[in-house]
Amino acid sequence: MRRTYLWFFQLVTGALIAVLLGIHIVVQHFDAILVFFGVDAAQSTSWAAMTARASQGIWVFIYIALLAVGLYHGINGLRNIILEVTRSTRAERAVTWAMIVIGIIFFAGGTYVPVALLTG
Amino acid sequence: MMKQAQPRQNYLGPAGWVWAGKYKLERYLYLLHRVTGLGLILFVLVHLIMTTVFRIQGQDIWEATMALLHNPWFKIGEYLVVVAFSLHALNGLRLIIQELGFALGKPTPPIYPYQDALRKKRPGTIVMVAVIIILAAAFLFDFLQGGW
Repeated sequence: MRRTYLWFFQLVTGALIAVLLGIHIVVQHFDAILVFFGVDAAQSTSWAAMTARASQGIWVFIYIALLAVGLYHGINGLRNIILEVTRSTRAERAVTWAMIVIGIIFFAGGTYVPVALLTG
Repeated sequence: MMKQAQPRQNYLGPAGWVWAGKYKLERYLYLLHRVTGLGLILFVLVHLIMTTVFRIQGQDIWEATMALLHNPWFKIGEYLVVVAFSLHALNGLRLIIQELGFALGKPTPPIYPYQDALRKKRPGTIVMVAVIIILAAAFLFDFLQGGW
């Protein structure tokens, strides 16, 4: 039953990533398209553009949401690949806990920085 | 108490990473899905470190990091990441549609030549592959124009 839920969330997070990462990549790379729609996103990696995004709550929300669903999707996918090596339940439990720890570390780091920059 | 998990059906272990027999289009897409997935994990690992550890240290460190990342080799890497994401996203949406039972088509009587679900969906799969190739080519054009 648990595996079913894990797989179902893999599908849900996958669909969410397609939307959120689509936004992220268009803003970072397809500035010509955005200019066509009247948005000036040139020099998206400059300090000024980065701090402008980092000071807007909606961008911080989008990035943290993308971080959460992306980490789940990537870590669960990697876990599925690793678990093809072994069929032992003990190894499965060890891998699962290692993945949870890695996920918490990256989510904590990736949340702390934008929140710290947003709140000053 | 059941200590051992139920044996998984069609279990190949790591041998299945190399060869699982009878390779058709969908099986190659499976391989590419896995390779691009692992590549994207590797990218996200580096990307998260760059945008957290190096961003919190202020403007000078950020600009030095961005200058390093605007090196042509990193730019080619970024192009590959965007292509890998396009492939992984479109193939993933195909898998979601398939997994949740959409686009099954009308049931047909089992008369030779048999139509299984995979073969029924193959024209759509080929269209999806074509869209991925067109997207990769369009991104390459934009990339060579220097918009990145």
